[in-house]
Amino acid sequence: MIFGRKKAAWDREVDVIIAGSGGAGLTAALTAAGAGLSVDLVEKSSQVGGTTAVSGGVIWIPNNHQMASLGIEDSREDALAYMTRIADGRSSESLLSTYVDAAPRMAKAVEALSAIKFSALAKYPDYHPEFEGGRPGGRSMETGLFDTNSLGEWAPHLRRSAIFGATPMSVAEALEWGVFANPLNLPYRDLAKRFSEGLVCYGASLVGGLLKACLQKGVTPRVSTAVSELITENGGVKGAIIDGERVRARRGVVLACGGFEWNTDLCQQYLGGILTHPNSPPINHGDGLRMAMSAGADLANMNEAWWCPSVVVPGEEYDGIQLNRGEFAIRSLPHSIIVNQAGRRFVNEAHNYNDMMKPFFNFDPVGYTRPNLPAYLVMDQQYADKYLLVTSVPGMPIPTFMQTAKSLGELAEKIGVDPQGLQATVSRFNQFADQGVDEDFQRGWSFYDHCYGDPQNKPNPNLGRLEKGPFHAIEVHPGALGTKGGARVDGHARVLNTQGQAIEGLYAAGNAAAAVTGAGYPGAGATIGAAMTWGWLAGCHAARREK
Amino acid sequence: MPEVRYQRPVNASVEEIWAFVQDMNNWAPMMTGYQSHEVKTERESVWTLKGDVGILSRVVEMGITITEWSGPSRVSFALKGINEMVSGDGTFEILPLTENPALPEPAAEKRGFFSRLIRWFFRTLFQKKYGRLEGPSESDSPAKAELIFTWRMEAGGPTGPLVNAMLGPAIEPAAQHLAEQIAQHIEGKSRG
Repeated sequence: MIFGRKKAAWDREVDVIIAGSGGAGLTAALTAAGAGLSVDLVEKSSQVGGTTAVSGGVIWIPNNHQMASLGIEDSREDALAYMTRIADGRSSESLLSTYVDAAPRMAKAVEALSAIKFSALAKYPDYHPEFEGGRPGGRSMETGLFDTNSLGEWAPHLRRSAIFGATPMSVAEALEWGVFANPLNLPYRDLAKRFSEGLVCYGASLVGGLLKACLQKGVTPRVSTAVSELITENGGVKGAIIDGERVRARRGVVLACGGFEWNTDLCQQYLGGILTHPNSPPINHGDGLRMAMSAGADLANMNEAWWCPSVVVPGEEYDGIQLNRGEFAIRSLPHSIIVNQAGRRFVNEAHNYNDMMKPFFNFDPVGYTRPNLPAYLVMDQQYADKYLLVTSVPGMPIPTFMQTAKSLGELAEKIGVDPQGLQATVSRFNQFADQGVDEDFQRGWSFYDHCYGDPQNKPNPNLGRLEKGPFHAIEVHPGALGTKGGARVDGHARVLNTQGQAIEGLYAAGNAAAAVTGAGYPGAGATIGAAMTWGWLAGCHAARREK
Repeated sequence: MPEVRYQRPVNASVEEIWAFVQDMNNWAPMMTGYQSHEVKTERESVWTLKGDVGILSRVVEMGITITEWSGPSRVSFALKGINEMVSGDGTFEILPLTENPALPEPAAEKRGFFSRLIRWFFRTLFQKKYGRLEGPSESDSPAKAELIFTWRMEAGGPTGPLVNAMLGPAIEPAAQHLAEQIAQHIEGKSRG
């Protein structure tokens, strides 16, 4: 009788349940399936790919197998020194070492299990290339373009970015063509042809390659289906409830269902900054965090996010929700600045998007205010005549959602910024532009800044005078690619409890886990690089576990 | 230039169809993504639409000008984007079916696998958002006329080719949706 009841407690059994189909979930699924395990890959949205699919699709892999052929030296020691500085005391040596050691192995393993071939980007620098152990390129890797025709009936289920979805170009091409600094240089007809032929790029390309490999290994994602609850027994995780079914997971459950950036309550409860404009698809509500907590997980890095300044085109929607566009171009190119309501600059605008957001949240203890919110991007007509302006390129009208005025003073009045403050700031900035040195915030000092600047602009690719009217402005909002706090994990992606012990049968990877990079962002693809590495570690460990 | 043509037999007379179609105030709200419209003159108006191109949607303001009013068989209009570099035109033709008993369907365009797939994708997204796209319902009484809607849209500027690649599959279900809405409204009124 007892045995009979126990058996009936499960509606079905698999080896591994994976919640979420972004880079972490797909890599875990591919790894587990590659080891011969049966996998239930569950995705609550109707499309596969999660946050990864709308990203740049780059993975940051220090000391990777292609750097030597590009003539770029790297070492475990350098990578570790660099990551330790970037983590700012918010990660452990053990986890950072695991990243450095496991990430290159993960990349090779994914290549072996799929048709994906990663290509190192020689000209894509680390986000602090001048730090000890930093590199001016080579650690970020991409997958190029992906032909969605090869997915057959699964092609419509591949999530695509609202921003990159219709411009199929590789990251190497984007860097070479100068997407931001020289937008008229893009071969728009060729790109339209690629789009019509079904080619995708960036995150959708990476996800497409992983999805195809998963399908070939017999993993069929269950879309529009959610893992709602973990089933625990004696402190371990035995399975999960999926669509009302009690499903036993013989080897474990992997939480890879993203962060909590779309859950306002959790953001208010945990984040150090004020996140109002997430850039991810509106599907990340902290499901993994909630389930991990229910199983007794310890949490870490909860106040951090992968911050990114964002702008809004009113009425522009993705998945039925206002789209928040990550802003990379305007703040990095000449003839633009970011100011607060006092009309003052407060940050190196061209710095990497994660770190440059932090001064937005500065707190005035006397006035109990945050003087850098709201903030505005201000630019002159020279900018609009040369560069990408949110949705328009030179030759197109200034978008109607921009605030525009003939003079700086008039523009300041329009956006509610102190006119004298703005005028004084622009006068000072123009001196910096002339001398090519930003004495206040070092904009254009780092090689990283130059990567997003205009190489034709002299003497500094990031600094140009604001002097030709009309002048334009748009509000910059605090955004994030995702949150980076969650379940604390070990070097096998096992979720740890508050005693520091692994919770049997529970893994976490990607933004559902506490980011191993701590507070910082080492380089392009550190989000997905870590996500896929811990997804791979989870798949490997589950494969070694006894049933 | 992305172009779509949709024809629909209507169980109403040419005059009944014309009475509805000749006044754009009647059918502007039936446009996919309709937000509002403002009449400027007898021939000119400004429409605000939420344009849906599959991956994302954006609010577009369009200036609409009636370019031809040939009652009771034809009304044409031109569209020009106010906040976007798009332009186009549309025509409603009304033909009595007795005089055209076997109006041929336009020859089916030969499409590759991805082209069919992307059209299916846009159609699915469209139906998810705006409801099922239905053709004419079975009726005991024969259709008296045919409503033909032709719609062309083109994006300009350097990025135009890219936008056009997305517009093509996006306007196809939108055109069908509009013609169906008009036909069903007229048929309902005609029966009532």
